Amino acid sequence: MKASDTMLMTLMARAQAGDREAYRILLLSAQSWLRRFFAQRIAPHEVDDLVQETLMSLHRKRATYDPARPFLPWLAAIARYRWVDRLRQSYRAAADTLDGDLPVDSHEDVVFAQISIERLLAQISPAQASAIMLVKIDGLSIADAAQRSGQSESLVKVNIHRGLKKLAALVESE
Amino acid sequence: MKSHPHSTIEGFSLDDLVDDLTPVRRITAAQGWLIGGAMTLLAVTLVTIFAGLREDVLAGDPSAMVVQRSLALLLLGCAALAAVVDSIQPRVGRHSNAWALALLVALSFPILTLGTAMHSATMPMSQLSSPSGLWCLGISLTSAMMIAAALTLWARRGAVTVANRTAWLIGLSAGAFGTLAYSLHCTSTTLAYAGIWYTAAVASSAVAGRAILPRLLRW
Repeated sequence: MKASDTMLMTLMARAQAGDREAYRILLLSAQSWLRRFFAQRIAPHEVDDLVQETLMSLHRKRATYDPARPFLPWLAAIARYRWVDRLRQSYRAAADTLDGDLPVDSHEDVVFAQISIERLLAQISPAQASAIMLVKIDGLSIADAAQRSGQSESLVKVNIHRGLKKLAALVESE
Repeated sequence: MKSHPHSTIEGFSLDDLVDDLTPVRRITAAQGWLIGGAMTLLAVTLVTIFAGLREDVLAGDPSAMVVQRSLALLLLGCAALAAVVDSIQPRVGRHSNAWALALLVALSFPILTLGTAMHSATMPMSQLSSPSGLWCLGISLTSAMMIAAALTLWARRGAVTVANRTAWLIGLSAGAFGTLAYSLHCTSTTLAYAGIWYTAAVASSAVAGRAILPRLLRW
């Protein structure tokens, strides 16, 4: 379902006043829009989770929307915040494993999409980008990534942690 | 019309969100300005009651120095508060420079006052041992804490998406307004004193805001 921003502005204003039918239509439209938004940015199996988290945030923070302003930039800001939150969780998880082993399939838990990744990875150091790419995207083990990149295993872990932290800051400041 | 979304979060349902809908009172920028202004007035009132105002302020004829430093603190507090208020309602694509203006004002205050004092007869270093310095910090930071608490409670109702920056700005704004309240009591009229102790109070408040508030602003 695609809806114009003007229509969404009206629906959201009515939802703020308690109109449930308008709110249902708005949520369905927002859900559809968010799927497209996240599909360009994160791994496909993570999309539904983030869409639902964002819709719950929309619900909790609906009082912060100003009906005089466009709806979609507001929704995109909420969606981006939830995305950054995911990145934070990822680098905290990476920090927790700095002294241990990363699970082989941990890349499945990281929120990334190839489209945004290439642009974002270009903004961090090559060593950090390489470590994240090899382990979090290509799915190599720490040992294999260390061998491939020429970094020590502990350096690969440190670069993943620091790189994800920087990526979260980059997305947040955009 | 019932929705049947593919659900991956346990218990998530669009229907539940719809059923939970109640009318809401919008968060507005005016509320932030009102809270900041009211809390500053409260701080000035408490300083008046418990410490007393300067005689020239009470007489309605403050010295040029008191006017100058009060205006500088007011400008700093307002610039930082404008940035805080701006951060409550998120939107992508907005490029607000309110926080940069606040930072510029914050930096210019100590540089101007200390620079001027360095060329005057009173050496700034002598002001470091001023016995009223801790009194200045105490009153300014107590007032700042009160103002910051109110602003934080209000900000938590909003949707702050850059928590660290907003935390700095709340501390900066509250520090400037809290120090403004103190400046109406402060007996000193030297630039060096203001440059050292007022700057210390505002900076301490900003650092405390950055250290304490981000976790309270995340949602």
